[in-house]
Amino acid sequence: MIEARHVTKDYGSVVAVRDVSFDVAQGEIVGFLGPNGAGKTTTLRMLAGFLGATSGSVKIHGHDIATESLEARAKLGYMPEAAPLYTELRVREYLAFRAALKRVPGRERKAAVERSLEQAAVTDVAETPIGQLSKGYRQRVALADALVSNPPLLILDEPTAGLDPNQIVEVRKLVRELGQSHTILLSTHILPEVEAVCERALVIAGGRLVAEGTIAELQARKRGRETRLTVRGDAEKLAAAVRELAGVKEVRASTLAGAPEIVELVLETLPDADAESTLERAVAALVAAGGGVRQVTPARASLEAVFAELTQAEEPKAGDA
Amino acid sequence: MSGFAAVYRREMLSLWVTPLAWVLLVVFLLLQGTIFYSIVVHFTSLADLAVETGPVEAYFGQESVFLLMTLLLVCPALTMRTFAEERRSGTIETLLTAPVTPAGIVLGKYLAVLTTYCAMWAPTVLYVVVLRKTGSIDWHTVGSSYLGLFGVGAAYLALGTLMSSMSKSQLIALLLAIFAEFGLFVLGVGEYVFEPGLLHDVCAHLSIGSQMEEMSRGIVDLRRIVFDGSIAVTSLFVTSRVVDSWRWG
Repeated sequence: MIEARHVTKDYGSVVAVRDVSFDVAQGEIVGFLGPNGAGKTTTLRMLAGFLGATSGSVKIHGHDIATESLEARAKLGYMPEAAPLYTELRVREYLAFRAALKRVPGRERKAAVERSLEQAAVTDVAETPIGQLSKGYRQRVALADALVSNPPLLILDEPTAGLDPNQIVEVRKLVRELGQSHTILLSTHILPEVEAVCERALVIAGGRLVAEGTIAELQARKRGRETRLTVRGDAEKLAAAVRELAGVKEVRASTLAGAPEIVELVLETLPDADAESTLERAVAALVAAGGGVRQVTPARASLEAVFAELTQAEEPKAGDA
Repeated sequence: MSGFAAVYRREMLSLWVTPLAWVLLVVFLLLQGTIFYSIVVHFTSLADLAVETGPVEAYFGQESVFLLMTLLLVCPALTMRTFAEERRSGTIETLLTAPVTPAGIVLGKYLAVLTTYCAMWAPTVLYVVVLRKTGSIDWHTVGSSYLGLFGVGAAYLALGTLMSSMSKSQLIALLLAIFAEFGLFVLGVGEYVFEPGLLHDVCAHLSIGSQMEEMSRGIVDLRRIVFDGSIAVTSLFVTSRVVDSWRWG
């Protein structure tokens, strides 16, 4: 559905996006993830045909966005970040305009407007001037706009930005529902959003694509696995007991404030070691050293940690344009 | 040309549901009414003179400096928001990612302001209808006068549309348009400044004032129409190139 090949956007002194290549297949919901200023919006604008790429090519539904721009744009619904709308128009008037602009045939236009009003749950404000709507409603009107021509591909730039928690939940639910009939690429800097709605994520930092894969694959990319142990005993002695075990990469010990006899050990295993058996041996060693093991918590690599690792590694390179 | 009809309808709707068009219409008609009234009063005081011209000719022609002054205010005000507002509010992003061509957008917007311009002039036909009660009216000169006004408006509005694409600020777009249109007007004044010769002829040819003066007497010179048309076409062409260039910004 989207084929991006070596896409670069050069603003003269700043390279906003460099050599980004990826595919989005039909029916996927893909998260486009990155910190603020990473090049998310610039990339999406190039995909939507609002900006031209300095080099590289983008194909939407088989049409090149540069050479067959109209055909490519007819296949996508794009929702820009700030949800810009004509505030003087009523919601229904606006959507009718957008439907006509997107070449929805005259006799189907009314039905298309009604359908998009319903899909985005804005039927109740159809006759309200857009200028009087709240941020949440405007965001949904922009979504209805993206949906009005029923395009196979939706490109949503931070669809939940500026919404309150309830609205965020609603929009995510809506995106998941739309994902059943549309291919969706949505950008965000909020990780739970990707975990909540996306099957796959692209991670961009400093204008480069630094990772790509399913959520599980990305989590697995975090090198080394950590286990947190709460043990009663002497911190130094306990740490020494496990530090030399095979498969252990690092041990960090700290005592709890107010309870100096309770030690928190963070055990990090080597990436190539069998984490489970290392853990078993570590617990046995702790018991042998006189420690009272109270709690063992395997720390699942959160997407946050993966994200931080992936994007921070790229950060220094961001300035060397 | 794709998207032209939708852009045109949206532009008309936006113009007429906001106060801008109505405020301009009221101010415009007040000014025109005052000018026309004073011209008529002036002519009634010349009762016994066998003058060649009547109030209609005076209104559109000899006294057209007033008329052109109001155009210098009304036309830039009509066009200032066309592109500047789209870029300021960000709606240009949704517009340019729809399957529309720059030419379609530019023409849709331009024809909407041109239609509005014509709608503003429409009530002034009543002046002539009222005058008919007092004497005979040469409808040919009325027709050619309105043709002249249409030509001037077409050129001014195209220039204003171009200026609106130059800035994200409506105020700057307004000022740029006033400068450009006033510049065109001042060029025509050169006709009275320079000695007969090349400069004089060039200025006379470019003069919007002389154009209205001729047309108010029923003289339709094709060169005048071509001049207005070429300003309009050139401005609109450049505007569509400017719109296209935003992709590379």
